[in-house]
Amino acid sequence: MRRAPWIAGAAATALVAAGAISYAVADGDDDGTKAPAADSADAGFARDMAVHHQQAVEMSYIVRDRTGNEEIRRLAYDISQTQANQRGMLLGWLDLWELPKVSSAAPMSWMDMAGMADGKDGALMPGMATNTEMTKLGKLSGKQAEVFYLQLMTRHHQGGVHMAQGCVDRCEVGVEKRLAQGMVNAQESEISLMAGMLKERGAKAS
Amino acid sequence: MGSAKKSANDSGSAARKARIEEMRRAERSRELRNRILTISVSVVIVAGLVVGATLLVRKQSDDKDTAATGSKGAGKFVTGADGVKTWDKKLTQNHVTKTVNYPMEPPVGGDHNQVWMNCNGDVYTKALNPMNAVHSLEHGAVWVTYNSKAPKSDIDALAAKVKKTPYSLMSPDDKQADPIMLSAWGKQRTVSSATDPNVDKFFEEFVQGKQTPEPGAACTNGLAQ
Repeated sequence: MRRAPWIAGAAATALVAAGAISYAVADGDDDGTKAPAADSADAGFARDMAVHHQQAVEMSYIVRDRTGNEEIRRLAYDISQTQANQRGMLLGWLDLWELPKVSSAAPMSWMDMAGMADGKDGALMPGMATNTEMTKLGKLSGKQAEVFYLQLMTRHHQGGVHMAQGCVDRCEVGVEKRLAQGMVNAQESEISLMAGMLKERGAKAS
Repeated sequence: MGSAKKSANDSGSAARKARIEEMRRAERSRELRNRILTISVSVVIVAGLVVGATLLVRKQSDDKDTAATGSKGAGKFVTGADGVKTWDKKLTQNHVTKTVNYPMEPPVGGDHNQVWMNCNGDVYTKALNPMNAVHSLEHGAVWVTYNSKAPKSDIDALAAKVKKTPYSLMSPDDKQADPIMLSAWGKQRTVSSATDPNVDKFFEEFVQGKQTPEPGAACTNGLAQ
């Protein structure tokens, strides 16, 4: 009987620790120090979104050279800065995890979406523009370039939001899941901003 | 007599045995009751601790959640053990042109203007349009604000700190309650002076911190005063 409080105390401590740990794990708040597997959602999202983001950065640089419109140039600046930095985070995690930047599996296999895009003409994943479309953007100017950019970027964001949601649902590394949720929110907000900008230019998303 | 005595002794001894047995039984049931009571109390304490710890962990991880839902004006500040106030509802992130009435001063989040206020260590001497400043918070900036009661020495010292800190900005705000306030997305605190150790702590935790809804976004090429 005298040992009972002792045992109860030890049990309480163990249970609290176990509860806190299982809660943290269930919440996906892995601290990112332990490397995920190469075929995990964490690694797959870092690889694929780095590629997806790169095209948005490129597209934004192109339109900034093709129009003097301040609003479009600022949007393009915002997107290129943000996505270049986020791409750096994703690639940096792969480096820390000592995982390859490429996979022999099809893009988005990690979210059961292999074969979503045919990969032809540079459009490797849903939402991505083809090389032909990128070349066309570089030849247009003024309002035509603005409208085409808004249309391409809207489609790009729609694909991006879908992929980011895949990580929100499947990723286990807390910081990565948080970044993915941030992408979903910010890009959805930008899609509605771009819808307004297209409307002002008498155009539609597609 | 001997046998009678023996028998009497026997029956006396049997009665004693029965009494002892009875006492032992009572003792055992008392022990059992105590044991049940101890176990029950322990279970209740453990359950309480588990629930408490879970709530604590949940509270600490709340700031990860930034989904753009919730209505304007809903929510309130909850003050943490470190003195930092956290907005308890999700803050919306839409780009809007209409004026937003924020439920806190200075605002720590919500819908905002499409153009962010430059926050690359920018010190402004006139009050800002909060709709631009909120966009800077979305990009991970810490916003230092002060009212007319703040001593000039504190303003100068904080301005020097902000100028050395990318992803921070500073401006006067005469509508705010306290002389010196620090804000980040969903976070706010008051500090007693420029040398209050909580200034450095707030900067360390929230300049491009975990609360940032849009990590990687820029503090340059936005709006300047």
